[in-house]
Amino acid sequence: MRTRQPRPGPRLLGAALLGPLFAANLLAQLSASQKQLQVDSFETVWTTIRDKHWDTRPGGLDWQAIHDEYRPQIEKAQTVDQARGVMRAMLARLNQTHFAILAPGVAEDIAGDGGEGTPGFDIRVLDGHVIVTDVKVGGIDLAAAGPGSEVRLGWEVISAGSWDLPVLVEKLRADPAIHEYAVVRAILSRIAGPVGYTKHYVFLDGAGARVPRDVRLQAPRGELAGFGNLPPQHVWFEFRKIGGVGYIRFNEFLDLPRLMPAFGKAIEDCAKCDGLIVDLRGNPGGIGGMAMGMAGWLTDRSDQRLGTMYMRSATLKFFLNPRADAYTGPLAILVDGTSASTSEIFAGGLQDLHRARIFGTRTAGAALPSLIARLPNGDGFQYAVANYISEGGRPLEGNGVTPDVEVRLTRESLLAGHDAVAASAVEWIRQQGKKP
Amino acid sequence: MRQITRIGRVVALGGALGGAPVWAQAPPDAAAILDRYVEVTGGRAAYEKHQTEVLTGVVEFPAQGLKGKLVRYSAPPDKEYSILDLEGIGLIESGVNAGAAWEKSVLLGPRVKPGEERDQAIREAHFNQPIEWRKLYQKAATAGLQTVDGEECYEVVLTPPAGKPEHQFYSRKTGLLVRTTMVAASQMGDIEVEVDFADYKGFGGVLFPTRSKQRAGSQELNITVEQVRVNDAIPPERFEPPTDVAAMLRNAAGK
Repeated sequence: MRTRQPRPGPRLLGAALLGPLFAANLLAQLSASQKQLQVDSFETVWTTIRDKHWDTRPGGLDWQAIHDEYRPQIEKAQTVDQARGVMRAMLARLNQTHFAILAPGVAEDIAGDGGEGTPGFDIRVLDGHVIVTDVKVGGIDLAAAGPGSEVRLGWEVISAGSWDLPVLVEKLRADPAIHEYAVVRAILSRIAGPVGYTKHYVFLDGAGARVPRDVRLQAPRGELAGFGNLPPQHVWFEFRKIGGVGYIRFNEFLDLPRLMPAFGKAIEDCAKCDGLIVDLRGNPGGIGGMAMGMAGWLTDRSDQRLGTMYMRSATLKFFLNPRADAYTGPLAILVDGTSASTSEIFAGGLQDLHRARIFGTRTAGAALPSLIARLPNGDGFQYAVANYISEGGRPLEGNGVTPDVEVRLTRESLLAGHDAVAASAVEWIRQQGKKP
Repeated sequence: MRQITRIGRVVALGGALGGAPVWAQAPPDAAAILDRYVEVTGGRAAYEKHQTEVLTGVVEFPAQGLKGKLVRYSAPPDKEYSILDLEGIGLIESGVNAGAAWEKSVLLGPRVKPGEERDQAIREAHFNQPIEWRKLYQKAATAGLQTVDGEECYEVVLTPPAGKPEHQFYSRKTGLLVRTTMVAASQMGDIEVEVDFADYKGFGGVLFPTRSKQRAGSQELNITVEQVRVNDAIPPERFEPPTDVAAMLRNAAGK
């Protein structure tokens, strides 16, 4: 996804032209060979769940009976839309998240056209608007750039290259199968592009005036780190102090050989901190074991665990292994709708153990390892292969981590240069220090 | 992660590998199967000449694309030190010495293994296991004839003094260990483990399976043994735990 080249200019026009054609195709009668592709796709979906769902009775259902119920329906499907509807109905019987049939157009909308170059700012979708939430992503403070070059917190991004972002956001949010997390990822891929490429953006400033900017895309922050078959990722780690409060942030749970010692060093440097903040906003997760490893630096109690992962062939407890010099002072974790997977396991588990107080907005609810396979008919098929229950007994999948203190970023506070979520956590830590 | 366990020691006797089945009808007694394994792998005398072993090999997680180098030092009665340097993960060390079992990794730090996990680690570290099975298990029984990857095998159930039984599958034709299955105790919980052994090669007069494929939970890992150096001088301190583990052991002992 990251290596695909942007398709400027005609992209929207092309979509506009193809849209009606695509709709027409949905309604077109299937030929015999096309029908067979739908049947083959149905069998792929059914068999995958039979073989890979963590429960031998997926969703508590007699899965063979489900097959026998829906197989005649897929055979009778006369259009692509009907066939897709049959498979979606079958998946709906599971009553579980991360099982979805993604039409090719939808999958493309999510994937975007990427490139790993960053314009140096980050965004979130706030009340349906793409808002700048960070201007130091590339290591340069864009807010301090000279007149005509600066980008400020709280500005709305209304276009990136040829992409009309409000239109894209509206389209993505209209599909209930696409979570906020995927919406933000899709937008991020639109604002990115090849390193060195100059991309044109249009913003709305605080007064609602259009502000055009041509921004040369930079290499992403951090060091390139590989992990097995995963494509190399840029991973960065940040530790600083806000007064007497330690602040840790990293973009992914990856680059284990570098991040784990860095995390340990930060804990060591923060031994006398009034409190510690771990900022997981925008962190999509990574290596699950790193949640256990990092949490081990934050507790001195043994026999604790973050939660339990259930797979077909094993039940794995996400245990904590307390380090000798663990930090046991006040701990705040910052999250939002783009905190996913390992971030949720980490935050949710420490919340359940009453070890951390969570600030921000509800996380993505995407804690499970899920895969997306291509079906014979060209659709995407997303399926989860494990269930995860946090230590408090709640499934994180689909639910996410609900903060103890809900603090929403607002455009107004960002325009004032204020990170309301971090400020709330710092204030809570200061209050802890005042308690007798 | 479970280390190479129960790497079979087999004397390089090609004739023995191709020998006719000893038992044609009823499954033989478990003791006979286990002793036959020692026999077809060279016999007790060959094992007893081994005083130390240093195994080097490669560990791969094919699904994840992860790979690392493994070195394992072993000495009697049950001393072991292993170090695995896994790309993207870092160092994972583990050891058994003087009745204690431990592990240490970049990911999780140092840890002393308790209870059943410790007992299993000590059992697996026991030097020259094949000739000492009577000391390690209180019961061995033949469960019947099974087919493992198309090969007829005798299934032997070994029951330790404490903990869950282990199942071993010995080729009816060659007498070699082909597969083991067991429930491994770990900090993450009990995990069903199945290990297939292949490509037996001789080192210091004893054959070792140089390829093993292990399935544990949803993970699959392959271990390829490159070399086993026999009777190298291993300094005693090699088996001493790292200082942080040693401190944990002292704390646990109340010293």
